[in-house]
Amino acid sequence: MQEFFIKLGKAETYQKLFKEPLTYVAGAMLLAVLNIAHFAVLNGGWGVTSPFVSWGAWVVKLFGVDVSGWNYFSESARKTLANGFLMDGGSIRNVGIIFGALLATLYASQFKIKKIKSGRQVVAAILGGLMMGYGARMASGCNIGALFTGTASLSFSGWIFALCLLIGAYFGSKLLAKYFM
Amino acid sequence: MAEIVQEVKTSVRKRTPRKPKKSQIPAALVLTIIVVVIGFYLAGLSPKLPIFWMFGLAFGYVLQRSRFCFTAAFRDPWISGSTSVTRAVLVAIGICTLGFTAIKYGAVLNGADIPGMGSVTPIGLPLVLGGIIFGIGMVIAGGCASGTLMRIGEGFLMQLLVLVFFVIGSLWGAHDQGAFWGPTFNANAPRVFLPDLFGWFGALVVQGLIILLLYIAAVKWQEKKGTAE
Amino acid sequence: MAEFTLDCLGEACPVPLMKTQKKMESMAVGDVLIVSIDHSCAMKNVPEWARNQGYNVEIEEVDDGEWELIIEKTK
Repeated sequence: MQEFFIKLGKAETYQKLFKEPLTYVAGAMLLAVLNIAHFAVLNGGWGVTSPFVSWGAWVVKLFGVDVSGWNYFSESARKTLANGFLMDGGSIRNVGIIFGALLATLYASQFKIKKIKSGRQVVAAILGGLMMGYGARMASGCNIGALFTGTASLSFSGWIFALCLLIGAYFGSKLLAKYFM
Repeated sequence: MAEIVQEVKTSVRKRTPRKPKKSQIPAALVLTIIVVVIGFYLAGLSPKLPIFWMFGLAFGYVLQRSRFCFTAAFRDPWISGSTSVTRAVLVAIGICTLGFTAIKYGAVLNGADIPGMGSVTPIGLPLVLGGIIFGIGMVIAGGCASGTLMRIGEGFLMQLLVLVFFVIGSLWGAHDQGAFWGPTFNANAPRVFLPDLFGWFGALVVQGLIILLLYIAAVKWQEKKGTAE
Repeated sequence: MAEFTLDCLGEACPVPLMKTQKKMESMAVGDVLIVSIDHSCAMKNVPEWARNQGYNVEIEEVDDGEWELIIEKTK
């Protein structure tokens, strides 16, 4: 069996379809088409970070803390919280991204668990994660919701966000070179 | 020159004796079945859920296959002078704008409400600060939200840790946004929907000009910085 | 014609690229650098950068999700 799959993995057509990376522009076109389809079917563009708030809310709820009374949550967001993880489309979509990437990696035979190498990576992950989470809430979205979907929705906020990201990325690069290399 | 490369290649082989590679395709096939089963399970819960599931899978698949990285679009110009990802993001925004606008204008023609207006968010201090903070965070963490999820799928334990703190940061940010940032700064902040200013056609022209100018700037940037020694 | 190696296994973007840039700077023309990476994005952006500089690049998949980039400093 393994023989067959190793052979299959080496076939030229297979390599082209599943192994060689697509160009960035091809990826861009596919993402755009998918986002348009998403918009058409679900009446709104793609977003990633809003469900993360719900995930946090569900986790703290396990410890008996109820945050659904916070000012931040709208009526519909409270409903999402009440209905739970499995009924939240946004959460399902995010898990789908993980599985979609895992599928692509497995079909390319390139999956490998990459362990955390150093304490510096731990610090980077904690700081980076916290900053992205906090920043995304202030800006009502991330690179997907506020930038990709935002600009494509003809909202000028998307372009302002892009400019701020560019500034942030500049400082981030400096920090990275100084402390995390 | 060709000789040198040849020589290197052989020396590499000597140093790293290759273990016979295992194909992961069988695992991929098993996972495909699992993914489909999950889809049917979700369909039983609510008919809309499999749609979200499929979009998630497709986004993740495309992101991984093209190594698309929104972080790189903003970071690489500073680090290597390369703007190839930046330009790809502009292409994505351009195509997506056309599709979104077509759907919206179709709704207007049919006398319906314009969909997706939730994406037109207030332009104020929180947006600016949030963008900068997010920008710093994504470079340090080695990927943004979609990138973090995609890399978890690729097997990065570091990104799993990023996700944990992303969730914590989100909850923290949501609290502060609702309690402080939003009410303090966003109450009177403008929401600028380009068609309100320029009309539908004018909005597309303006959007097209923004994308075109940025694209040209990106090309020039790479010419100037990308190949400079 | 020295040969150098750079271990970037477990490093996330953009660290492999930055390390490669730094290392290449310190090398003489004709030297060769072998970068080990296991980050799927670095396997695209490091070669892209090197080719933009006009260097010769070869990519070899040495294991599942592991690559060696062979970069020759040509100028």
